Amino acid sequence: MAHKDFLDISSLQREEIISLLDQAVPFKDLFTRSVKKVPALKGKTVLMLFYEPSTRTLSSFEVAAKRLSADVTIFDVPHSSVTKGESVRDTIDTLQAMRADYIVVRHRLSGQPAAIARQTGASVINAGDGAHAHPTQALLDAFTFREKFPEMEGRRVLIMGDILHSRVARSTSTIFEKLGVEVAFCGPGSLVPQTRFPRFTNYEEAMKWKPDVVYLLRVQKERQTASFFPSDREYHQTYGVTDERLKQIAGEGIYVMHPGPINRGVELCDAVLDYDRCLISQQVENGIAARMSVLYGLKSKKS
Amino acid sequence: MNLFLQGGQVASEDSAPVASDVWIENGTIKAVAPGLDVPEGAKIIDCVGKIIMPGMFDAHVHFREPGQEAKETIKDGTEAAINGGITGVVMMPNTSPAIDSATVVNRVLEEGKKCRIPVYTSGCITIGRKGEEMAPIAGMKKAGVLMLTDDGDAVPNAALLKRSMEYASDFDMFFASHCEDPQLAGPRALNEGAVSYRLGIEGTPALAEEICMDRDIRIAHATDTYLHIQHVSSALGMETIRWWRDERGAKVSGEVSPHHLMFCDEDIGEYDTHYKMNPPLRTKADNEALVQGLKDGVFRIIATDHAPHTEFEKSQAFVDAPNGITGLDTALVSLFDRFVDKGEFGWDLIVKRYSAEPRRMMRVDVAEVSEGNAADLLVFDPNGQTTFTKEFMKSKSSNTPFLDKTLKGSIDVVVLGDEVLLER
Repeated sequence: MAHKDFLDISSLQREEIISLLDQAVPFKDLFTRSVKKVPALKGKTVLMLFYEPSTRTLSSFEVAAKRLSADVTIFDVPHSSVTKGESVRDTIDTLQAMRADYIVVRHRLSGQPAAIARQTGASVINAGDGAHAHPTQALLDAFTFREKFPEMEGRRVLIMGDILHSRVARSTSTIFEKLGVEVAFCGPGSLVPQTRFPRFTNYEEAMKWKPDVVYLLRVQKERQTASFFPSDREYHQTYGVTDERLKQIAGEGIYVMHPGPINRGVELCDAVLDYDRCLISQQVENGIAARMSVLYGLKSKKS
Repeated sequence: MNLFLQGGQVASEDSAPVASDVWIENGTIKAVAPGLDVPEGAKIIDCVGKIIMPGMFDAHVHFREPGQEAKETIKDGTEAAINGGITGVVMMPNTSPAIDSATVVNRVLEEGKKCRIPVYTSGCITIGRKGEEMAPIAGMKKAGVLMLTDDGDAVPNAALLKRSMEYASDFDMFFASHCEDPQLAGPRALNEGAVSYRLGIEGTPALAEEICMDRDIRIAHATDTYLHIQHVSSALGMETIRWWRDERGAKVSGEVSPHHLMFCDEDIGEYDTHYKMNPPLRTKADNEALVQGLKDGVFRIIATDHAPHTEFEKSQAFVDAPNGITGLDTALVSLFDRFVDKGEFGWDLIVKRYSAEPRRMMRVDVAEVSEGNAADLLVFDPNGQTTFTKEFMKSKSSNTPFLDKTLKGSIDVVVLGDEVLLER
């Protein structure tokens, strides 16, 4: 990759995405061996700077970096000077002195990783910013999808849920679009804005579009309290994968994906997790390989 | 002082520039005519190929004093104005403390008197701009306030706005509105649309502004109050003013800023905070409609909404960075570069909407380059160019999209009364 940073999917060429996906394959093969480590990033330092609570993405990056033999430091935001009101900019100036090679950033504000990237010479990897982008999630989604549909072109992914506030929806729709996969959005009218993708506000109508994958988004509790929809119960009945709807999904052989963490009884019923075409745990596993590929890809440019 | 501006063209609000020399003696314009003899002892300024016009007047500036002097002071703000050919300004009251009492009005106007151009101020409608209690309108009027506004926010309580207008009627005050429905506006970062979706930031729909505009005009119309709508950003907002004025005879006028005429939300690119202001930049179609509204006179005045912020503040993430850009240093040159030079409209429009009408609205003497008037003018070189470096700009802040950009046109001379304020 000819980039210092990995901030979003929009700025990547199709070829760059494909090479990142290809590069992730041997990393994934590594996981079944007794020694899961390669020395690719030996002597490099990866700094984790997570301003938002995250367990899954943080651990995934940590494992990915360690399997590449990098040194990993987790900057403890909740107990740091940040809570004393230090600005992000001043924190970065301080961290510069530690000479990290990579800074993995998650922040509640859209655009914060980009601002950090402008300030530091280290490679900045966006681990999720506001409702803007979550590019490593997109990469692992595409990787998981490609394992099932190697040709990708012309296949269809229906992304369901809170599109408006979702960085996953933005990045994942963009990567699929660049790979020739058709994307449509479905969800309550208050949560699905007009975009360049087809828009459904009715579940049944959306299923007539014949998706190969239904990609469910996590429904955030605070959206309900802010009255984007009336209740979890009504959401589940109107837009969730209920037991009834799962039968239709299974009958048509449609795969189910979800970025996690899931809300049982809201966007999906318990039975979805036992469905044999549910790809949620594969996504988690592939996340490590995809993130190794990103770290490795940025490394090859630097050295 | 004895000054002779030779060979230039004098612009006015009524016609295209006319070839004339201008002779100024002891602060008064003694003669305006072509082919004048050079008066004895006069300093000659060569104005061949240049435009001589009255000094501009900016009715919407944020000078941050008292309270936020790291961004701007009254002194620095007025120097930025002079640098941009502006010879009079009206401050907005969202300082800290707010300009909501005779005491603060006096303090601000005292500081203003130390500057080289006149500084006027507006006063708050409500105490602390909090939208809860009426500010001492009579007292502020006595201290010299020209206009009432809670600029920075709308008055959220319609009943309070109505009562304030009714109360103020006895003190011959007019009102100006920053229009915004706070719930619809959300975090106030950028326009709602494709760009806000792409950047993942909750947008502010034009609806937030238009609904409040309609509300405020209705209240003003019902109470027979003159209402000026500040910094209109959308086509439908402009049409709202037009409709009330033309169809219902409401005493209402609009104001448009150079940035809302020139830029749209796509210019934000990847989170460029130099394009972040409130109301936000809308779409290209809005730009075109606003230019038309300016030509049609729906916008009585052009004003910058000069809003300085420190480099540090603007370097934060887009949502956290404060709203606003500076404008005094750049306004006139940018209006020339983008519109006059391209034939979109003439100097007469600029003089009318950025010099004569704002002064009339504020009820101060109109500057005009004509015999017998006090000198209040500038010389503009349409063949010159200006590069807006930090060093060039006199504002304490440099949060402008024009930072380090080079534009056509330059302001060469500014004269006010007996003093040459600027010569380069």
